[in-house]
Amino acid sequence: MKKSSIIVIILAIAAVLLLWGVSVNNSLVNEEENVQKAWSQVENVYKRRMDLIPQLVNTVQGAANYEKSVLTEVTNARANANKVTVDPSNLSEENIAAFQKAQDQLSKALANTITVTVERYPELTATAGFRDLQTQLEGTENRITVERGKYNEAVQSFNSKLRRFPNNIVGSICGFSKKGYFSAPAEAEEPVQVQFDF
Amino acid sequence: MRPRLLIVWLLLSLGVAHAEWTPERSNRLVNDYSGVLTSEQVAALEQRLVAFDDSTSNQVLVVITPTLYDDEVQATAQRIGERWGVGREQFNNGVVILVKSKTPEENWGEVAIATGYGVEGALPDIFCRHIIDDEMVGPMGEGDYYRGLARALDVICPVLAGEYSYAQYRADNRREGMITLLVLALVVGAILAYIVYYAKKHPDQFNNDRHWGGGGVYFGGTPGGFWSSEGGGFSSGGFGGFGGFGGGHFGGGGASGRF
Repeated sequence: MKKSSIIVIILAIAAVLLLWGVSVNNSLVNEEENVQKAWSQVENVYKRRMDLIPQLVNTVQGAANYEKSVLTEVTNARANANKVTVDPSNLSEENIAAFQKAQDQLSKALANTITVTVERYPELTATAGFRDLQTQLEGTENRITVERGKYNEAVQSFNSKLRRFPNNIVGSICGFSKKGYFSAPAEAEEPVQVQFDF
Repeated sequence: MRPRLLIVWLLLSLGVAHAEWTPERSNRLVNDYSGVLTSEQVAALEQRLVAFDDSTSNQVLVVITPTLYDDEVQATAQRIGERWGVGREQFNNGVVILVKSKTPEENWGEVAIATGYGVEGALPDIFCRHIIDDEMVGPMGEGDYYRGLARALDVICPVLAGEYSYAQYRADNRREGMITLLVLALVVGAILAYIVYYAKKHPDQFNNDRHWGGGGVYFGGTPGGFWSSEGGGFSSGGFGGFGGFGGGHFGGGGASGRF
């Protein structure tokens, strides 16, 4: 075989490999964009909850026999959660876990605050304003659940594409890394004691 | 009662696993799996919702089920909307009304209104809760599911018709119609031009019965394709029947209640 034809064959194989690498890279870029889009929705719905908490605080402060201690937990948790933000270009497992920890603490603080409010200020919780606020908080929790689910689906699709051989070679060359999931925290797996009265 | 419900919600949102049931996708807008509506009532609601879909592009889906398999009514309604694709994909203008009817085994009723992303502005959660509390819970508690649904639709439909993308939808439709017309005109023009050209080139064939028959075969062929393609366009548009779900998305908006 002539030397020149060997070079041509090598060049042809290299060209095919390059084209394949580019197409894998492009599809990973697409998937990554889907993940980032889903993430921005997650941030939106958590932001919405952040915005509702001052309303809750104001409403509870309006109660006749209001005590400051009722609101300290939720205001502190909100301040903490506000500090933990995630850069959309770095949705690593550690970052997502930290974000989730802060937000889940806020969820718990919110649940406690509402429990205490209902026990101590029954006349307040009977008002239309409080009921509307609750509907908004419920709606926000629904949206958080939905957007977290959609984000996890996008991450699953991205991660499984990234980890599959031989895509993982292209992925590591081009600097893609696994994205973090939202997970069910350990505490939530214990049975939750809630009194139903309906 | 309501505060307790919210606490349950907050704790559930921490990530307790849900059973993920949704009914199989049907091609109707009114789906009564409990059999609490008469066939006339189903037909009346279906006709109303199909007409509403045709005239405004908003899709309102009604599902009545005897059980939710221990899941939350609101989450189930959202899942049905998302998986069935209620509403147009570009507008996300779907609404799902899910009713869990009372049964001897599960002697309580639940109802949820789930709103697509595009109608969250027209139907905010608080509005949905008021529709449920004021229009649905009363009649449905007495077992009159039809009246509850009809009264809810009396509110929901005009609201949806007022805000959303009706004008946009009409504009898009007109544009599509123009393109179809243009393509048809070009095809017809090309055929006519070819016939004229063919006739000029072979004038003898048009004076001769034997050859004219041969031309007829050609003549019959192309317009035949033309007619059948137009027939396809009609059937996909649908006369009277429901044209299918459009791929709308749901983000968890809406509200729920019990009766």
